[in-house]
Amino acid sequence: MSAHHIGSYVAIVQYEIRITGHLNPRWAAWFDGLSLTRAEDGTTVIRGQIVDQAALHGVLKKLRDIGVPLISVTQLRSEGE
Amino acid sequence: MANPLVATKLYIPSPRPNLVVRRRLHERLSTAADAKLVLVSAPAGFGKTTLVTGWLGALADDGAAVAWLSLDDRDNDPGLFWLYVLASLQVAVPGLGAAARTLLESANAPTEDVLTTLVNELHNAKQDVAVVLDDLHVIESKDVHDGLAYLLENLPKRARLVITSRSDPPLPLARLRARGELVEIRAADLRFNAEEAAEYLNGAMALELTAADIATLETRTEGWIAALQLAALSLQGREEAATFIAGFAGDDRFIVDYLAGEVLQRQPESVRRFLLQTSVLGRMRGSLCDTVTGATGGKAALESLDRQNLFVIPLDDRREWYRYHHLFADVLRARLLDEDPDAPVELHRRASIWYADNGEPSEAIRHALAAGDFARAAALAELAMPAMRRGRQDATIREWAQLFPADIVRIRPVLAVGLVGGFMAAGEFERVEAQLHEAEKWLALTPEDRDAAGMIVVDDAQLRALPGAIEMYRAGLALLRGDSAATVTHARRVLAIAPDDDELGRASAHALLGLAAWSEGDLDSAFSEYTRSIAGMRHIGHIADILGESIAMADIRVAQGRLRDAQRRYEQGLQLVADHGAGPLRGTADMHVGLAEILRERDDREGAAEHLRRAQRLELFGTRQYPYRSRAVLAGLRLAEGDVAGCLALLEEAERVYDTDFSPAVRPVGARRARTHVLMGDIHEARAWVRERGLSTDDELRYVTEFEHITLVIILINDQPRERELRQVSALLDRLLAAADAGSRGSSVIEILAVQALAFDARGETASALDALRRATALAEPEGYVRVFTFLGSRLQELREGLATGVARPRSQQAGLVDPLSERELDVLRLLRSELGGPEIARELTVSLHTVRSHTKSIYTKLGVNSRREAVRRADELGF
Repeated sequence: MSAHHIGSYVAIVQYEIRITGHLNPRWAAWFDGLSLTRAEDGTTVIRGQIVDQAALHGVLKKLRDIGVPLISVTQLRSEGE
Repeated sequence: MANPLVATKLYIPSPRPNLVVRRRLHERLSTAADAKLVLVSAPAGFGKTTLVTGWLGALADDGAAVAWLSLDDRDNDPGLFWLYVLASLQVAVPGLGAAARTLLESANAPTEDVLTTLVNELHNAKQDVAVVLDDLHVIESKDVHDGLAYLLENLPKRARLVITSRSDPPLPLARLRARGELVEIRAADLRFNAEEAAEYLNGAMALELTAADIATLETRTEGWIAALQLAALSLQGREEAATFIAGFAGDDRFIVDYLAGEVLQRQPESVRRFLLQTSVLGRMRGSLCDTVTGATGGKAALESLDRQNLFVIPLDDRREWYRYHHLFADVLRARLLDEDPDAPVELHRRASIWYADNGEPSEAIRHALAAGDFARAAALAELAMPAMRRGRQDATIREWAQLFPADIVRIRPVLAVGLVGGFMAAGEFERVEAQLHEAEKWLALTPEDRDAAGMIVVDDAQLRALPGAIEMYRAGLALLRGDSAATVTHARRVLAIAPDDDELGRASAHALLGLAAWSEGDLDSAFSEYTRSIAGMRHIGHIADILGESIAMADIRVAQGRLRDAQRRYEQGLQLVADHGAGPLRGTADMHVGLAEILRERDDREGAAEHLRRAQRLELFGTRQYPYRSRAVLAGLRLAEGDVAGCLALLEEAERVYDTDFSPAVRPVGARRARTHVLMGDIHEARAWVRERGLSTDDELRYVTEFEHITLVIILINDQPRERELRQVSALLDRLLAAADAGSRGSSVIEILAVQALAFDARGETASALDALRRATALAEPEGYVRVFTFLGSRLQELREGLATGVARPRSQQAGLVDPLSERELDVLRLLRSELGGPEIARELTVSLHTVRSHTKSIYTKLGVNSRREAVRRADELGF
């Protein structure tokens, strides 16, 4: 489910997830439209609005299921603040 | 049944012929003889399942039976999860787990009971048993994890769990590790080392790579087996292996993604399309693939993938069902979504049609939901609902309840009420109320208005039963609120409107009416309602309900003063369990406690103690009442043995675990404790209880406070009452007696009469006292009551002797004690006369120092003294 289904009353938070290896941008749809950016250092940054903790864990589970090594998860800022 | 078991989930994957034998890991595993749990925990594609299947041969050689269960996310429903576990056991060892399964499927029994029975069965198994749970990471349900933890904790020596998972399961791993009961194989262990990589690439795959190439591949993949497999597939038939290897070795791309792309690119377009389209399926077979792809030749396509080793895994011996390797499936699905974002909707819709046509509604619903086709999913769910309810798949119903949008449910009253069961199980009572209300609004409309407003019902039979179902849920809600009157109203309506063939509904309604009548003290009605309920439950084979209601009926007989009949009923309950043949069931321990209580009342201490010992051995099979009831009975036994301190300690424990499990709380532990304080002469404590409960002689009387009011009277009579208080006591006793008589509550009548005798006696009305006592004795003797009298102190004993001999001494200006010293206290008193100190006295009596102190304190209280010397002097005065 993408963010616009939830409505504006939920504080939607930006996350940045860094993984090892370059993940092809074609995976964006698989990760519900999060953006995939390849970094110089051989990592990939997955970035975007994630509506809540359940959704965040959903993304992490998808990463686990394809065997991508996870480096970090960072919360960026709350939207509309 | 809505969910026939999918046999492929129980199939042990056969080891691949071109397998690298993991000798070093098999050795680790074979040292695991004492391990309760073998945990293979690593990311996707590390060869977890392959390792376990490879090792099973060795296990089987040692004579162990292997039960296999491949999990998927539907198994988050605890009912379904355990059903599959039991089914897998039965495949491994015919008959093993059968009793637990009977319990799970027919008896409406809680998971804990099922597991307890399973533990018993495993305990009696003739051989070692290994239960493999493959892909446990898909399980997120806390209930399932709790059940697994319970099973692990109680697992008999000859059984073990083998778990593969992508993440460590929330089980007490540290504890198992510390006890040496855990063997772990993790990612670092599973990675192919250089030797194994060579064996695989050049041996199994016959690629003829140089040592340098193998080293490069091993380094780049870090021994990740799935990546090595993809690399091998990409390299097959390639001329320039070294160039290809060098190409991706110096590259940062996510290796599986990159290699899967290579493999896909090398397939013919038709195969590529087949792979992408069928990736939406959790399992595949030829005809299902044909329906989904809209083409033919699905069976041949699957067989061809199987031959080429293209990440399909056969799920049965006949090679009918397959699935993709999970990691590869994700890669395919992600590509499909990227290339054609709308495609999955139509593919899922087609899969839903196939499953509906092939008798698997829950899969059909799943795919319809995945397709976003809620109307279709709703229609399927509505039709599947009765079977889901019978199969106790509350968690699945709850999941549906969350997945269906409100506007879909709103216009489907049958579905809405069906989903209520899920909300009830989840404790979301406000939603229950709201859904029932909505459904009722539909029922109030004329058929024309229903159509006009767009009501949708696909199952007319359920629509006819809907009013009864709604009332039953209302009755349940009222019971949870503690609203007895509303429970009765709704339960009566169920009986008025539920169709005759709704036996569970009708039997449940009778049980609720029985419970309500019991709570109001109308024991005759309660008994006859339970009788009807049990007849219905017997007819549909709900043994757990039969047992629970048998306990209630025996308890009611006790309250009616019919100890012999109650005893017979507890014994019949035990017989029923024995006949059922599934081992002990929940409630078995309670039956023994009930028997112990009756024997205790008859002062058969040995017999009572024996039943308590049996109950204790079966305490896993106790109801929620068991913890407090068993302690309360044991407290009564201690008291009969003169161990007042022990009695009080047990009553305090009983109070902490007090839970009557919806039965009326008619003999609260606090009142029993207050009575014991009276016996000890500790009126101050007893009075404190009266204040705390806010009891007075003018209170309005209700059955649930009857025992407390009798306790109040006992306290008042023992606290040097004046004439005015005695009048109040007598008035209260008259009212209590009238109420107990009206409700046929024989047990209460006996006790009230005995207390009344004391009250008359205290007012000097000896003849009336004897009359009351005579009546009490007439009721009590045929049933064998003893303790109810002895519990009331020495003066009552004198009166009873008077009744027997025809000579009753009038009440003396009791120089003696309100309450006599117990045998144990007399022992202590005897030693207090000696020179022995506390510890020596304790040794002499083989009790703890603490117990001696308690007895001493009790003796001081009863004798009204403050020191050992005074106690000895006072005892001399009293002629002890």
